[in-house]
Amino acid sequence: MTAALPDMAIIDSTVASLRAFGGPLGITALVASLALCLASWIPGASAWRRRALWAAAAVLLLGEGLLVWFHVRLYELAAVVDPSTGTVTGHVAVPVWVESEKLFVWALVLAVMMCAARRHAPELASVGSVLLLLLVAGAVLAGRPFTDPLPDFLAQYTGYLRGMAVGGQAAAQAFQGMEGSRLYFYDTWYMWVHPPLLFLSYGAFTMSFAAAVQAAMQRRSAFEETAYRWARFGYLPLTAGMLLGFPWAILAWTGESWWWSGKVNMSIMMWLLYTAYLHLRLHLRKRGMWRWVLALAFLSFFALVLTYVTTYLVPGAHSVA
Amino acid sequence: MEELETPRVAPRTASRRGWDFALLVLAVALLGGLGIQSLAGTLYSWWATRTVESWATSPAFAFYIQVMNAIAAPMVIALAIVMGLCIPKRLFSRGALAAASGIMVLFGLGSWAATGSPTTGLAVYLLGAAGVQVSVVVMTIAGASSLRFLAEGRVAKVGSALLHLGFLVFGYVVVALQKDAWMLPVFWVGFVLAIGGSALTFYAGGVTRALSGGR
Repeated sequence: MTAALPDMAIIDSTVASLRAFGGPLGITALVASLALCLASWIPGASAWRRRALWAAAAVLLLGEGLLVWFHVRLYELAAVVDPSTGTVTGHVAVPVWVESEKLFVWALVLAVMMCAARRHAPELASVGSVLLLLLVAGAVLAGRPFTDPLPDFLAQYTGYLRGMAVGGQAAAQAFQGMEGSRLYFYDTWYMWVHPPLLFLSYGAFTMSFAAAVQAAMQRRSAFEETAYRWARFGYLPLTAGMLLGFPWAILAWTGESWWWSGKVNMSIMMWLLYTAYLHLRLHLRKRGMWRWVLALAFLSFFALVLTYVTTYLVPGAHSVA
Repeated sequence: MEELETPRVAPRTASRRGWDFALLVLAVALLGGLGIQSLAGTLYSWWATRTVESWATSPAFAFYIQVMNAIAAPMVIALAIVMGLCIPKRLFSRGALAAASGIMVLFGLGSWAATGSPTTGLAVYLLGAAGVQVSVVVMTIAGASSLRFLAEGRVAKVGSALLHLGFLVFGYVVVALQKDAWMLPVFWVGFVLAIGGSALTFYAGGVTRALSGGR
């Protein structure tokens, strides 16, 4: 095997370091989110809400910092070598929002938005804290970005290393797969723009949902206005991210039938529903219209959750099921 | 919920708003219809991958794509027509609007008949709608007072016109340019128009304040 490729033991020790620091950090994030939830809902504890929110956001930021360190270290190690020439074609730059890290990023974006919110901040925090707890719990217990990091990438890269060690046809095939993933998935600029835009929109739509719940519970139009403001803020990155997915799909999935695949279907449905919501809201002043507007706001967020879940349930392009 | 008082409006304005509302309900219904189709397609995919062996490479998959296209096509065309109706209503009276829309639909149908390709027909219709939208943008920026918009304010008007133009351009890219060398350049034009137009529409107040030096 060429000297430019890393020893598996170095990758294993990097993963072990992440586990050692990240395992407790994940539990801390879960505890901090639970504390925020309690501070938001227990009468008399509201004085602690703001501090608990900042603490939860700080722990999540710390966790993200640890993930960034892990990914930078991986980038330094994960060279791709062409077996026919022996030259390094590049290093794999795995972004911090793939595989097991998605829910963690969503939770971080939501926490930052909750900290930044000025309009109806306490009311948004009460519903938002429950949603944040669900996201952090999902990230730590199901996603496990610190204890079981990047299972697909590490499996592919270690498979590539094994193929390169064997040499011959096995090395050529392993290189072809790894180099394809590097060029069209990990290292393409679309990967560094498309998902972050969508996670930004996911965070904003979660805030919008929290405000919509308050509008339905308290029957105050001011909360509906807040829900709309967050929704329009989320709609911009959602639309930009989805539009950018189109040329990326044409580039990366040439010859594949991706247009009607499950995840793409659900993404389109979510965008259509949010578009319908923003359009219908133009006539909010019509008598009784607020019920329809709020119903669409709830339906749109439900579609967002379904879109996320579809990635893991329905096989097809853009899916890991 | 504090019910907002319905403002009293002149009959003609009320009629126009009724027309706007009818178009809006139609657009929302079509968006919802496409959404339901997307959900149904996802559920079918989920079921098929579990019950049909190698479904993604089987003839059943090709049939699924064919059926999905056949169901979506009328709704996409209807949505494009509604968008077309929404666009020239800002330039013409309702009678002229119906005539202009009818002419554009006829052009689309004629192209379909001449080439035998519904895709070409839709592409021609989208080009026509985009052409009308370009004139709306130009007239709005020039400050034509006759334009009728639901949203108030010059910035919101320009934004609304630009974003609709952007989506028409994107629609044209999807329908006609997927395998063309011009795909990316035209896509970027549509992207900038759609996102820039949306931002102007959503944040018209802030942009107006910024343009007027914070006053």
